[in-house]
Amino acid sequence: MGWWDWMRRSLIPGPSPEGGRAFPSLSLRERGRGEGAASTLVKTVAMLLLTLPAQAADTLHLYNWNNYISDQTIARFEAECRCEVAQDYYSDNEEMLAKLAAGASGYDLIVPTGNAVEALVRSKQLRSLDKTRLARLGNIKPAFMNAFFDPGNRYSVPYAYTVTLLGYNVEKLQALGLPTDTWALIFEPRYLEKLKGRVTVLDSQRELMAAALRYLGHSVNDTDEAKWKQARDLILRAKPYWAAFNASSYIKELTVGNIWLAHGYSNDMFQARADAEGAGRPFRIGYAIPREGAVLALDSMVLHRTGRHPELAQSFIDFMLDGENSAELTNLIGSGNPNRAAMAYIRPEIAHNRAVFPDAASMKRLEMMRDLDRKSRRILNRIWTEIKLR
Amino acid sequence: MSRTRPPGFLPTLGKGGQGGFWRHSAGATVDTYLLEGKAPSLDTTALPTPTLPASGEGAVSSPAGGGGWEGERGDSSCTRISQSPPPPLFQRGEISAKWAITAPPTLFLLVFFLAPALIVVLASFQYPGEFGGLAPLTDPGDGGEHGLTLENYLFFASDWLFAEILLRSFAVAAASTLICLILAYPVAWMIARGPKKHRNLLVLLVILPFASNFLIRVYAWMIILGPQAAFALAVNGLLGAFGLGPVSLLFSPFAVLVGMVYVHLPFMILPLYTNLEKHDPVLLDAAQDLGANAWQRFWRVTWPLSLPGIFSGSALVFIPVLGMFAIPDILGGTRDMLIGNLIKDQFLGVRDWPFGATLSIVLTLCVLGLAWLAAWAGKARRAHA
Repeated sequence: MGWWDWMRRSLIPGPSPEGGRAFPSLSLRERGRGEGAASTLVKTVAMLLLTLPAQAADTLHLYNWNNYISDQTIARFEAECRCEVAQDYYSDNEEMLAKLAAGASGYDLIVPTGNAVEALVRSKQLRSLDKTRLARLGNIKPAFMNAFFDPGNRYSVPYAYTVTLLGYNVEKLQALGLPTDTWALIFEPRYLEKLKGRVTVLDSQRELMAAALRYLGHSVNDTDEAKWKQARDLILRAKPYWAAFNASSYIKELTVGNIWLAHGYSNDMFQARADAEGAGRPFRIGYAIPREGAVLALDSMVLHRTGRHPELAQSFIDFMLDGENSAELTNLIGSGNPNRAAMAYIRPEIAHNRAVFPDAASMKRLEMMRDLDRKSRRILNRIWTEIKLR
Repeated sequence: MSRTRPPGFLPTLGKGGQGGFWRHSAGATVDTYLLEGKAPSLDTTALPTPTLPASGEGAVSSPAGGGGWEGERGDSSCTRISQSPPPPLFQRGEISAKWAITAPPTLFLLVFFLAPALIVVLASFQYPGEFGGLAPLTDPGDGGEHGLTLENYLFFASDWLFAEILLRSFAVAAASTLICLILAYPVAWMIARGPKKHRNLLVLLVILPFASNFLIRVYAWMIILGPQAAFALAVNGLLGAFGLGPVSLLFSPFAVLVGMVYVHLPFMILPLYTNLEKHDPVLLDAAQDLGANAWQRFWRVTWPLSLPGIFSGSALVFIPVLGMFAIPDILGGTRDMLIGNLIKDQFLGVRDWPFGATLSIVLTLCVLGLAWLAAWAGKARRAHA
């Protein structure tokens, strides 16, 4: 790689032309408003540098969750469209939003969760879809269309979903005589006494609050401060029994056997189960949706305003709407699939897993999270800090 | 602290930092002569001699007083300048050379340090944007919040919680620094007093861990401290023998402290080593000849001379620990949130940049306040001595 490429990589915020990972832009420019002179200058220089060398094949810039598409799918799409797919990754919606707010640009396609789509739609960062280019849109199950964050699906097409639930060590919980399908497991001292130091919960304000709110019989989107405080008290009562707030290593801890019960995402639990099996552990990892209800995180494909290849991005969306392509992801990571046509290609042990494809009754008890306004965010922030400190 | 210490120890302290720079001035010539322990009157060219004893006194006694020697050198050179008008630091042709040399780093600091710092200050007075980032400074015309506000600072002050996290972070940083110092001192001493041909190898071994990413090394501690690991089994076996229940080492304040000390230990060892290595062993011989026992030799000779190393090592450990968020995230339990985690959350978790900026500013002010206090205490002590 010559210095020329290096210059381009360093100067352009967001994805670099070759698809390598560029440095995140650190400018504090206000998002969505007029751009400062400096950033305009950088952009002009970047554009000049971009156009100088002859453009090779088109590159689709995909900003995606870690490990959220199969390599074979990518390879097939690249062959089909005679283009390249360059991926950047995030591990958290907020991380993605923060990077976009800091001025990252050039992403054609992003796969955010519903509440983040809501924030992106309301801040006018998305490009509307041309549905004439999405011939297979009908493959999506009606239950996943017209979600609260995008009525009429003007901006988003469902990609995959996960459920926030409880993963557990099957043998241990059986031996202790504990149930497996209730939030009481992580909130009630009478159960926790048997699990002390063997439980982790997600290190996420919204997710942990959502679990507590559901357990108390409220909606995950309830923003009443009194109910939040009720949830806080529930959490503080249970906290001494937990080992840690953990969002990164509970898969490993479950697989190794250090942790017997973890609050986490269904696809992570799928991973933990597969890892435990692969390592020949004397126990199995199971997971179930608590009967009080839980959070459903529907991730959708959206076009970012700054993307330079909207047509290519839409052909990618249509490509991913194909049943076989869509099923490949589910078979890889055990995510839920909103695509009717995919069901035939999904491995039966996943297709029949009630935690991944819930029956109609438990589907009704799943809720998608809405974005909080900034006032509520601050109130929750203070409550969360208190939870962490006490 | 005695003033009668032979000046022979001074050259070791004088070799760092600005020495070369100051040699250009007449005052510095004095300094150099003093540092080399020669009689200043031997210099016949540059020196207006009468004022020497006073400044010489100051220069000699100051490091013995135990403060940061750089500041002290600055002071003494100032005295000298006021007493004897020095020739210009650079000759005419050298002025442009001086600018050529100092402009790039100055510019670098202005652009990459001062400007971002000012942006953080500004951000701490802005409203958070509804979807992240910052609300605009000028009225966007849609009735949204804009302009400057004290709201973020009021939010910080509205609850004792945030100050409590700040205090806890200071406690963890102080504890880590102390443990690092206790562990690093003997190591640095051993390397400094070891055979010369091995020293470079030993220093290399100290910095070898930097060859791998520190997150990976912290993850390794997860395995070492994990409940199935030999270490945890041994500890719990020992506790069990005394009838104490098993403890969880991982996900605990203990694990956080271990991680902090482990990661930052080299930052304490290296400055200590560079300092200790320069000590003249003759001083210890002299102390022994004068009847000092081993403890006195350490406490009255080595320790005071190593204070500059201790200070720089402590700063290199204390400040990064204060801002560290990865280690509490990975090794911490349910009560191990530190100020670094809180700040990180504001930017990457809850879309509240202004409050994150406010916390950063408060943290910076606390550190500056502490540094000022340390400098003030050092000065007071010197004045007293």
